[in-house]
Amino acid sequence: LSALVLCMDVGFSMSNSGPGQELAFEQAKRVIQKFIQRQVFAESKDELGLVLFGTDHTKNPLAEDGQYQNISIYRHLMMPDFELLEEIEHQLQPGSQHADWLDALVVCMDLLQKETVGKKYERLNIALLTDLNTLACADQLDVIIGNLKKAGITLQFFLPFPVDADAEGDGGGDGAGPQNPPPGGKGLSREQKQGLEMVKQVMTSLDDEDGLDEVHTFSEAVKKLSIFKPIERRPMAWPCQLTIGSSLSIRIIGYKAVCEEKFKKSWAVVEAESHQKDDVKRETVFCLNDDNETEVEKEKTIQGFQYGSDIVPFSKVDQEQMKYKSDGKSFAVLGFTKQETSAIFLNRNDTMIYCHAGVALSSLIHALDRLKMVAIVRYVYDRRSNPQVGAAFPCIKQKYECLLYVQLPYMEDLRQFTFPSLENNKKFSPSEAQLSAVDALISSMMLVKEGEDGEKEDIFKVNSIPNPQFQRLFQCLHHRCVNPGTPLPPVEPWLKRMLDCPQAVSACCYDFLKEMKRCFPVKEVLQKKEQKTSAVVFGKNDEPEAKKLKLDEQDKFSLGEISEGNVTSVGSVNPAKDFHTLIQQKTISFEQACEQLTHRIEQLLGNRRTEYYMKTITCVQAFREQAVKTSNAELFNNYMQSLKKRVPDWNLQEFWGLLAQDALTLISKDEVESSSVSKQEANQFLLFEENVEAAAGPTPEDGGDVDDLVCAPTDVKIPCALDN
Amino acid sequence: MADWNAYYPKEDDEVEQEEGEESVGDYKSSGRDSLVFLVDASKEMFIKGEDGEPSNFDMTMQCVRSVYTSKIISSDKDLIALVFYGTEQSKNPRNTFKHVYVYHDLDSPGAQRVQNIDSLRGEEGAQLAAETMGSGQTSLGDALWCCYNLYSDIKLRLSHKRLMIFTCRDDPHGGDSTRDIRARTKAADLKGTGVVIDLMHLKKPGGFDVSCFFCDIVSPPEDERELGLQLEPCGKLEDLKNRVRAKEMKKRVQSRLTFSLGDGMNIAVGVYLLVKTATKPQAVRLYAETNEPVRTKTRLFHTQNGSLLLPSDTKRAQVYGKKQIVMEKGEVDEIKKFDDPGLVLIGFKPMDCLKLHHHIRPSLFIYPEEEQVTGSSCVFTALLQKCSERNVFALCKYTSKLNTPPRFVALIPQREVLDSSQVQAAPAGFHAIYLPYADDKRTLDVHDCPTASDEQVDKMKQIVHKLRFRYRSDAFENPVLQQHYRNLEALALDMCAPEAIEDFTMPKVKMMDDRLGPLVQEFKDLVYPPNYNPESKTAAKRKQADAEGAVDKKPKVEISEDELRAHVAKGTLSKLTVPVLKDACKHFGVRTTGTKKAELIEALLAQLN
Repeated sequence: LSALVLCMDVGFSMSNSGPGQELAFEQAKRVIQKFIQRQVFAESKDELGLVLFGTDHTKNPLAEDGQYQNISIYRHLMMPDFELLEEIEHQLQPGSQHADWLDALVVCMDLLQKETVGKKYERLNIALLTDLNTLACADQLDVIIGNLKKAGITLQFFLPFPVDADAEGDGGGDGAGPQNPPPGGKGLSREQKQGLEMVKQVMTSLDDEDGLDEVHTFSEAVKKLSIFKPIERRPMAWPCQLTIGSSLSIRIIGYKAVCEEKFKKSWAVVEAESHQKDDVKRETVFCLNDDNETEVEKEKTIQGFQYGSDIVPFSKVDQEQMKYKSDGKSFAVLGFTKQETSAIFLNRNDTMIYCHAGVALSSLIHALDRLKMVAIVRYVYDRRSNPQVGAAFPCIKQKYECLLYVQLPYMEDLRQFTFPSLENNKKFSPSEAQLSAVDALISSMMLVKEGEDGEKEDIFKVNSIPNPQFQRLFQCLHHRCVNPGTPLPPVEPWLKRMLDCPQAVSACCYDFLKEMKRCFPVKEVLQKKEQKTSAVVFGKNDEPEAKKLKLDEQDKFSLGEISEGNVTSVGSVNPAKDFHTLIQQKTISFEQACEQLTHRIEQLLGNRRTEYYMKTITCVQAFREQAVKTSNAELFNNYMQSLKKRVPDWNLQEFWGLLAQDALTLISKDEVESSSVSKQEANQFLLFEENVEAAAGPTPEDGGDVDDLVCAPTDVKIPCALDN
Repeated sequence: MADWNAYYPKEDDEVEQEEGEESVGDYKSSGRDSLVFLVDASKEMFIKGEDGEPSNFDMTMQCVRSVYTSKIISSDKDLIALVFYGTEQSKNPRNTFKHVYVYHDLDSPGAQRVQNIDSLRGEEGAQLAAETMGSGQTSLGDALWCCYNLYSDIKLRLSHKRLMIFTCRDDPHGGDSTRDIRARTKAADLKGTGVVIDLMHLKKPGGFDVSCFFCDIVSPPEDERELGLQLEPCGKLEDLKNRVRAKEMKKRVQSRLTFSLGDGMNIAVGVYLLVKTATKPQAVRLYAETNEPVRTKTRLFHTQNGSLLLPSDTKRAQVYGKKQIVMEKGEVDEIKKFDDPGLVLIGFKPMDCLKLHHHIRPSLFIYPEEEQVTGSSCVFTALLQKCSERNVFALCKYTSKLNTPPRFVALIPQREVLDSSQVQAAPAGFHAIYLPYADDKRTLDVHDCPTASDEQVDKMKQIVHKLRFRYRSDAFENPVLQQHYRNLEALALDMCAPEAIEDFTMPKVKMMDDRLGPLVQEFKDLVYPPNYNPESKTAAKRKQADAEGAVDKKPKVEISEDELRAHVAKGTLSKLTVPVLKDACKHFGVRTTGTKKAELIEALLAQLN
């Protein structure tokens, strides 16, 4: 637990800067917001206070006799929350006064000391954000430093310019954006120079070596604070014995080094109007797989597993008793093998590091390193966890040495796919010119550059990029909370930039990409069939759906128009209605209208989703209705028969079930005289599942035409749906 | 320790992760795979090899069994059939074919079928086969026709159809050209409906001549290089198993994506999973009276008026900093969207920049998709070749699906590797390794460790040398999974106890000790002080900790009303311990049913505010 007081200068000078520069006030405000946002989302228990100076009024316990004026305690020490963020967003305004920053510091110290009485804190900290434009009275400096040391309070400064801004040379500008005064001290006022001297004095007397590291610029602070770490996880030590055979064991301590952080908090489902979680009740029922979907009580169900085609009842108790039991924690060497045989790309999930302050492990690490070998080990975390097989690699660094453990796949996890050869295939082998174009492209896009001093510099370090998912989520949550009722903002530009090809690379590879394009003829193949795979359909669906919504709205307004006859074709929004209208209008022939409708039906079915099925059903209904009305059964019957043939291939069993429910079967003689379908045939037409057995009739000579068999069932039950 | 446990979920709550992008085999959209084993049952198949080697028939049965059991574990919806030809007896759906014995119809394999095959193995198996089927005349044409019917009787959507012929006779009809022609026609019919026919030819005295008959039966090889027929016949079970396994599994593409090199230069690639953690299948709920599976339906109701809530009647919420933040479901999805699905090239880095521990999740395999963008394979091959030559990897931004945030992957070039018998050991393509973000890395404090002396290292080298072995990635079965399936098998077949599994993950301690001999003691003498026992110390420490814990037990703490109100005002109630909170509840007469901290706090807040 720690306590922090943010102490921000809101005085006159903070909101007064040269043309074209961002106000120091705004910058400082953003630092504070980012910081608090981070604390709130990390759900940190740390307490935080906010003191403003340069305010128009005065509100602090030390203010007496004209001292400590224009300093106000905005918020006492407590856990930061969204209320504070909202207040900062909407209420924090620049002041028109100015105040001594050392006085403000004293107020903060006083606040920290008074409000932390009786509780234990690991760390007390004050962060001062100011442009140092107000002359501070240095008389008390030594006393203040003494008190800071005595109370164990650490100090941080955030300034609009770098700490060495008044020094000679141009090296000081790093991290400072264009909005800062130019380095070399030219832009700094007399007060600022003097203030800076005092800052240095304070910081170095608190920590003479690294004191100045705690003086930051606003812009660099914003950048650093943006990198949100959801939960600062302390690595958990895992003490164990590394065993080789029965009698050699070495004490080790394991730590998890890399682990995919997931967003742990799940979204609660709330009622749309009341926003109350309690208004939503989730109910799970079990039902039999019969026509009535008979519900059964939970108590009457047992657990089972699928064993191939068999379903095996297997209770939790039995399962617990019969399951594999490991003998607890273990890190046992199974043997040693050459490093290259356990291919690293097959490994999985997580990596652990094993450290141990002992020569026994050190001998193993060095022995493996010299022999270029790895240990294959059985690793069990504890009694309840499943054993793993993994490889322990030696890793020797200047500062430390360790074993790195990576999990290896089990036999069941491997999929041995064979792929057609690429390089031995003449069709695909690249020419010399093509190869050199690729070569040039690689050279132009190298992300690791060797500097003049031989140091390698990596300009795109993935492991220093914050997970954009968290950044974006917190940006949106913050936005929604502070600006309710407004749409979500776009992704922040700095985050977008961070995820893209660095400018330095994209600029110089441009010509080589052009050359690549010239060398390699690449052409997209338009595939009709591809449209049907679910991934593509779902991917593209989102847009039309949004459009559909809009269209739906329009529909309501233009209903009148429709009745006046503005429908020219069967649209996708309300195909059934359009179809009816078209038939009434008689602007196109019945056949044409049917064709358009069936086209829509095919499209809808392509989605293979229940919502679309319902719409499709209404289309089929409309089709049937009109067909009966116009005594044109053939068209409908033919279409239904062709549709039925496609059920297995298109996986439309669910849809077919719905048809059966609604008894949307063939039009029989009883309804339209010209129909060639008898009532019985029509009744049986919708049966599908049951026919599989019946199909095993005598084999026709041509090898068996399945569809014919399905259409002429011999003995089948008629489901109750058709009985009415 | 909670931290670790969180990562190793207990077996019962192995829930698919939300980002379950690794879920393969969506049968609804792609259909099922099917495989027919067409096995020669002629007398030649039953001839035992020299030195007591198993007969070709026996070997085939073992191989078929291993496919059955592995299918049950890996993809239990796939269909398998087992058909014998050249039998005396006939058994097929309409009994129209003589000398064709359909032992198992096309169906998903179950425990009974595995048992059936077991009964055909070994000496007794041959006996049983002779009794039930016998060996008779051969007509491969009839057999193929029968298989054709098996396929056409299936009403399910089949995505991949394969037929494997196991035989040791290169001229099954003994020169009868009518029957040869008939077999060729029927094979062509089968191939015409998309069935891939493979030949698993077995050892035959005098050599198996593929060209004399079977070259016209089997499907042409997938690629130019693999002129499959030049393969030697299989003499060993392992070879046969490998060959079958390599063919049996249909590669399933995870997704097809655009690989953008920049400036509109796009090629198409397919994403595959070569490693996917096999987990225990999800339990199903059964109706206790009939043992039939039940479906679960989940609905949302309004608590106040009991009306059914549609998805549009709900929103999503998170609580942070004492405030509930509400978003539409669509917005929650939208937040996750950064780019359209695809791979975007960022640049290249030398291989030594990729550290062993820069790795999360199983890796992916990337292979070009010529069918979507022509020319992809050529660009891909050139890239692969050059990356491999220059020892660099390509860094890419990878968005797997719509509304999925991007991750960075390292594309590591993999050239094709063939094993001694010209079977592909590793395919050509890029392995895509997921790289960790800053959030995924944990800071570790490292301590200075003493470094071992050369003498100590040399002794350890001797130990390492003694325990060398060849690692094969398929050498270790997952004992937890194996046990689970053995248990199910035992229950399904009413066996009194499950077959014992061999746990390959256990160290062979005895063997290791024997091999090491006195080396262990010699090493210990070098590194440990006399009488040091690395195992004892932790136990002692724990005891000490326990003792401390006992002393530390705090006396009851009470809290004044003012203090409590101060906590309430500051929102710091959660800092208090549960006993203190309980005390406070008692003190203020707050009745709580809960004992959890959150519940206690809630109750107190309700009382004091």
